[in-house]
Amino acid sequence: MISTSLTRPAVVRAQAPIRLRAVVGRLLGWSLLAGFGIAVLYPVLWMVLSGFKDNQEIFNQPWGLPGELRWDNWARAWDLGVVRYFTNSVIVTSASIVATTLISAWAAYGMCRLRLPFGNGVALLVLGGLLLSPTVALIPLFRLLTSMGLFDTYWALIVLYTAFRVPFTIFLIRAYMIELPRSVDEAATIDGASTTQIFWRIILPMSRPILVSAALLQALFAWNEFAFALVFVSDDSLKTLPVGLMAMQSRLLTDWPVMMAGLTMAALPTIVLFLIGQRQFLRGLTEGVGK
Amino acid sequence: MTVLRRWRTWAWVLPAVVLLLVFVYYPIADNLRLSLFSWNAFSPEPRFVGLDNYAEAFGDPVFWRALGNNAAYAVVSLVFQGGLSLVLAALLEELVGRRTRGLLRTLYFIPAAMSITVVGVLFSFLYNPRYGLLNEALNGLGLGHLARAWLGEEGSAIWSVIAMSQWQSVGYTAVLFVVAIQRIPREYYEAAKVDGGGPVRTFFSITLPMVREMTTLVVILTISGAFLVFNEVMVMTAGGPDNSSQVLGTWLYRKAFMEDDMGYAATVATVIFVITFAIAAGQLAVSRRRRYDS
Amino acid sequence: MNTHRWTALLLGTALVTAGCGGGSAGAPAKADLSAPKDKSGTLTMVTKFADPKYAPYFEKVVAAYKAANPKVDIKLEQVGDQPYKDKIRVLTASKDLPDIYFSWAGDFANKFVRAGLAADLTGVIGPDTPWGSTFAPAALKAFQYNGKYYGMPVDLDGKYLAYNKAVFTKAGVRVPKTFEELLSACDTLKSGGVQPIAFGNQYGWAAIHFITQLNAYDVAPKTLETDYAPATGAFTDPGYVTALKQFGDLVSRCGTKDANGLSHETAQAQFLSGKAAMHYLESVEFDVLDKSELDWSFLRLPAPAGAPGDTNALTGAPDGFLVNGQSKNAGLAVDFLKFLSSKENAATMTKDIGWLSPVKDSATSANSYPQLTDALQDIGEAGSFAIWLDTITNAEVAGAYLSGVEGMLSGSRAPEQVMAGVQKAAAKAKKEVG
Repeated sequence: MISTSLTRPAVVRAQAPIRLRAVVGRLLGWSLLAGFGIAVLYPVLWMVLSGFKDNQEIFNQPWGLPGELRWDNWARAWDLGVVRYFTNSVIVTSASIVATTLISAWAAYGMCRLRLPFGNGVALLVLGGLLLSPTVALIPLFRLLTSMGLFDTYWALIVLYTAFRVPFTIFLIRAYMIELPRSVDEAATIDGASTTQIFWRIILPMSRPILVSAALLQALFAWNEFAFALVFVSDDSLKTLPVGLMAMQSRLLTDWPVMMAGLTMAALPTIVLFLIGQRQFLRGLTEGVGK
Repeated sequence: MTVLRRWRTWAWVLPAVVLLLVFVYYPIADNLRLSLFSWNAFSPEPRFVGLDNYAEAFGDPVFWRALGNNAAYAVVSLVFQGGLSLVLAALLEELVGRRTRGLLRTLYFIPAAMSITVVGVLFSFLYNPRYGLLNEALNGLGLGHLARAWLGEEGSAIWSVIAMSQWQSVGYTAVLFVVAIQRIPREYYEAAKVDGGGPVRTFFSITLPMVREMTTLVVILTISGAFLVFNEVMVMTAGGPDNSSQVLGTWLYRKAFMEDDMGYAATVATVIFVITFAIAAGQLAVSRRRRYDS
Repeated sequence: MNTHRWTALLLGTALVTAGCGGGSAGAPAKADLSAPKDKSGTLTMVTKFADPKYAPYFEKVVAAYKAANPKVDIKLEQVGDQPYKDKIRVLTASKDLPDIYFSWAGDFANKFVRAGLAADLTGVIGPDTPWGSTFAPAALKAFQYNGKYYGMPVDLDGKYLAYNKAVFTKAGVRVPKTFEELLSACDTLKSGGVQPIAFGNQYGWAAIHFITQLNAYDVAPKTLETDYAPATGAFTDPGYVTALKQFGDLVSRCGTKDANGLSHETAQAQFLSGKAAMHYLESVEFDVLDKSELDWSFLRLPAPAGAPGDTNALTGAPDGFLVNGQSKNAGLAVDFLKFLSSKENAATMTKDIGWLSPVKDSATSANSYPQLTDALQDIGEAGSFAIWLDTITNAEVAGAYLSGVEGMLSGSRAPEQVMAGVQKAAAKAKKEVG
């Protein structure tokens, strides 16, 4: 407080030049923010609008608005494969969300709330899993999955999306579970509840916020994953959106509007999910990054 | 009895442990082994060749070009995601009112919520030499001499992919920085204001040191991301033309699944493993130290 | 109460046992090709004809066969051209090779033959057999390896330079007879403001088709044969460099700079819209031109004057189907292929999707258009097929050619450097095969 009153006069004297500089600085700052905003928004907007154009409009007036709303582009994209890829993505994504969150929640519970023999070993194993990248495992996984007969099935993707995301999700959930007061399970134990009951009836409901975050992050990951989907599924009828779109692109090389409509439909679910669950997303991201 | 009971708690972690061992650890260990063999889809019996694959990789100009492209990816990403993102985040916090800030933050994040294929395909249209928006824009601005076949020329292919990647990721890291900045106690800023520090000085004297942790993490994530990059390149150029935009990930893919040279591909995978593991271990060390510090 | 724990355990053990129980590799057996007494069972078949223009024809034939043989089920899977190369490798590695599968002629087919994965069909489809005699001999020959016949050709394909008659007339350009005349025709067209050849080389193979043809012109057939075989490839003949130089001239005088960034289809669209005078394309693509308003004709890429190679060779090849050498249903597979290649079905193919069939007398004015019958006649006159460079050579050499020529197009490599890369790849291939 004292120092405040002492320095105040200096501030007053320096005010005039600072104000000019501040205005210029603000202007610069705002233009950077706005400029970046436009740079981000414009391509996305162009993609959506181009989905309504016809080829002539895209090639001759790339900056213009569509002359009319051609919904048939969207219908065509949908029929030409988006519907199939979309369904596959939904199946793989939802299955891997359920599997990842449940398996991770079990493990996190076992690791931080029960006395687990060789618990440190498990923690190390999970930690190590965080350090290993999927790309490195492509070739052996290819052998493994073919020998297990999982190659070219939904299971290949579901199992891998779960296995490679379990370490991250365990840490995310564990960090949250550790913070839950011990007294609740102690009280429940005294009331005669088994560890299983405690998990399902107490711990799991209490961890809901972080489970939502974990599920959302898994959704973003699984919906957009590309390398595994490219290598381990080759049947066109099983392809997920990211790979399916590439197949569509090679089929539709000269039909841009339909492609743009397809791209927009593929991008929509995760964007909407993000808009709805923004808070949970950010929690998960920052918690996860800090791990 | 109690011992048995305690072991029963293993049922909780077993699914995770089994998944990890079978689908994460085993393949990575197996990859190391496979890199010592020569084999392809048509000769199911691998032939032991020792370190031949490594010698071949290290003598292969494309391998080094790929590694160089990964490094270029890392450097550019550092500048944009370590620098520009932080500046954007600081500006958001400094200049923008609550409402608008939330709106901009959401907007900035949108590309990161989009699939890399969507973004890649979208950008390959923007980069199209004949009808792409980018060349149209350059022509419109009287910069027609800069127009080119962005993804089709050796000089520009990888940089065009990297640029797209920045477009997708800068907003994402900016949001991470926003969160970090919001964790800085307000009093620091108030004190700085009172001390007569302008926004620029405050940025250097308070924001920058206080988000150091996040910066370190972003740096590490960015670098390891740059060495794992695959999707972007695969979708936009598949490594061409003349392997000029090849990165380790796509080179691995091409060797394994197009040229059918599995042993060589496993070798490339091992190199990626060594690099990313070292970086990740660094990350771990950093976050460990941080935990002790706090 | 403890159910979930058990589920967890079950899941765990399921995974472990699955991890240990490897796939069962079928022991190599000699395929039985004789026609089955009782036609029943399930056939698997994979093609690369997923394109909506082509897929329905194969579906139709399969449906017709199933209708005629109610106890047979055919699992037909069709994937795209590029994905097919991955798909078939994967199926091979996982020992899931279908009973009938697509193959390009050349090293692609030969690899399956060498690995014992293609049934020797000489006894049923050799030129002297009743079935074999229904095919054009050159087409059967494309699937010959060490004197034995391994494939059933399904289509005929030649690479031609299509030209827009109106644009030629307007620019006062005559149909070129030699490679040199073609170049000067390009100059005339260019000075008249027309793009001479629409050329898109995004994935590299479009350039390779030019090189295939030029190699055939510039290198003696015997040398080509030696070099294209992985066990003996050297690629030291000076003709290879000449071919690349000619291609370089062709691109600089007839093409555009941005070819590497353009897809073949985008280039084709330019030709269709009349903005370009010529376009190098396969006869299987003629259908697109036939459906357009264009007044067009075609010629072979003309040979350079005094070229030492085979000037009557035509870039192209039949595509075909192989029968899995380890298939238990080989007899049934052959029976289906006979059905597929009946004159009636072959004629339908030409009519529905505009492909030329290797089945004799299958194209008539009733089911095709003039250019297609002309092409069929021209293919008949060709001395030999110059099979696509990227399918006749092994993957390593093809890769070196693909990226080397891309590099040449973007100006970073000289023809000699491209060949140095190819020679290195050939040496490596030799080591692997030998």
